[in-house]
Amino acid sequence: MLLDYGRLGWLRAALLGFTGLVATFLLLPVVFIVLLSFGSSRWLAFPPPGWTLKWYEELFADPAWLEAALTSARIAAMAAILAVAIGLLASFALVRGQFRGRNTLRGLLLTPMVLPVVVFAIAIYAFFLRIGLGGTTAGFVIAHTVLALPFAIIPITAALEGFDKSIEDAAIVCGASPFEAKIRVTLPAIKIGIFSAAIFAFLASWDEVVVAIFMASPTLQTLPVKIWGSLRQDLSPVIAAASSLLVLLTLSLMIVTALIRRKLSK
Amino acid sequence: MSGNLSHRPPILRRPAGIGGALPALILISLFFVVPVVALLLRSVTEPVPGLQNYAILFGDGTYARVFLNTFLVATVVTAVTVIVAFPVAWMLAIMPPAFGSIVFGIIILSMWTNLLTRTYAWMVLLQRTGVVNRTLMDIGLISQPLPLINNLTGVTIGMVYIMLPFMILPLVGTLRAIDPMTLRAAALCGASPFDAFRRILLPLSLPGIAAGGLMVFVMSLGYFVTPTLLGGTSNMMLAGMIAQMIQSLLNWGLGSAAAFILLLVTMALYALQLRLVGAKRMTGGI
Repeated sequence: MLLDYGRLGWLRAALLGFTGLVATFLLLPVVFIVLLSFGSSRWLAFPPPGWTLKWYEELFADPAWLEAALTSARIAAMAAILAVAIGLLASFALVRGQFRGRNTLRGLLLTPMVLPVVVFAIAIYAFFLRIGLGGTTAGFVIAHTVLALPFAIIPITAALEGFDKSIEDAAIVCGASPFEAKIRVTLPAIKIGIFSAAIFAFLASWDEVVVAIFMASPTLQTLPVKIWGSLRQDLSPVIAAASSLLVLLTLSLMIVTALIRRKLSK
Repeated sequence: MSGNLSHRPPILRRPAGIGGALPALILISLFFVVPVVALLLRSVTEPVPGLQNYAILFGDGTYARVFLNTFLVATVVTAVTVIVAFPVAWMLAIMPPAFGSIVFGIIILSMWTNLLTRTYAWMVLLQRTGVVNRTLMDIGLISQPLPLINNLTGVTIGMVYIMLPFMILPLVGTLRAIDPMTLRAAALCGASPFDAFRRILLPLSLPGIAAGGLMVFVMSLGYFVTPTLLGGTSNMMLAGMIAQMIQSLLNWGLGSAAAFILLLVTMALYALQLRLVGAKRMTGGI
């Protein structure tokens, strides 16, 4: 009876209560930071003595914040495009290829997701210092593409595995070239996987802190580096304002994702 | 479609080769494998060739404490995460979808919110005069503020918060795959709910618990951001120590040696996980 929702009895109330507590725990910091960003206390007293918009004014008055956000968006967009393109090609080989060491190759391409980022961060930092890519946009994009690649490969291979290849073959039998069949038949069929890959790859770069801390230069800072720097100085409410905007962005991304997924799956 | 290739037109017979994977292979070899191997070489060549960096790491009590801290925190975080995640995943697996999607939404929101944002929130919530201490004092549970930040308690709270989604989501999949009939059968045969839990539900969900738990443990071992911000300088964990050796002390030899140890432990546990659950099951979480 333990897996019958309707017949759990008193246990259901207990488990539901516990689930509610955990959901509150997960929601608490997110809601708290948004409330805090409107509080008037510089010392982050809570509940705040009054409400204000001045932390947002301070945030927008400092061009460094906006610049960091734009840098982040630029790097994340480029890393996501590269990771999806490279990941898409690799996924075809990983799912359909018949060659020795295919599983080893899959494991190798997914390793950046498993290796602690700090190890990769110092490795790529040292490497880029030597070849002159340290503190450059190109360096950032390459490092983030490496980290984003597994997040692109996983949803695309999953979508490709669920796609019946005989439909693509049918298009070829009907006269399409193999390339044309892939573009016009296969890609539209796995578009949800590709879309998820793009979102995950973008977020992998946008939220990345550790590599960014090592790679950043005074002239090239991503948003997480800017937040990290402010956090190490003090717990200013301006960070709460910046954070709230990031929460807003996450929420919009979730809604857009849900809408697009619904539309694509029709 | 039959698997017999000889019945197909010639153009369909040729199976795909490794070709498409070449760009990815080049990217990963050049900008992942080479830099990491080069780093690990520095651990045995700097400042002079030899194993002295490893001798220092294993011989010094300060470093031993960092290793111990790291394993202790990762173990506690994993245990707490598993215990908290299981009932939630259980409910999510069988809840009516309308209800469950709210909880799923909260989990995704928490997971997708910027890591620094979440950690910053906990820094403010857990400080001496923070909401958690104030609330506990108001309801009379404590009379003095508890030290919740700049120690391993703070690190554990912050880490459990971050790891919970990674444990809950795969577990929901495991629990959904269990046939409710097995439990109905147990009840029909007279098993008490406790017996049914202990002898059927728990053993059947063990693969998911092992996979998720191992993933949380591995991630916790190498975590940098949350331990550094919530643990303060005197409670360093391994990743924080590596970063400090490189960034502040510029001791590349010692830093790379510590990185190699972290890499070795992580990869060994990863291999164990692949053995336990297979590559596909493991990546089901995202």
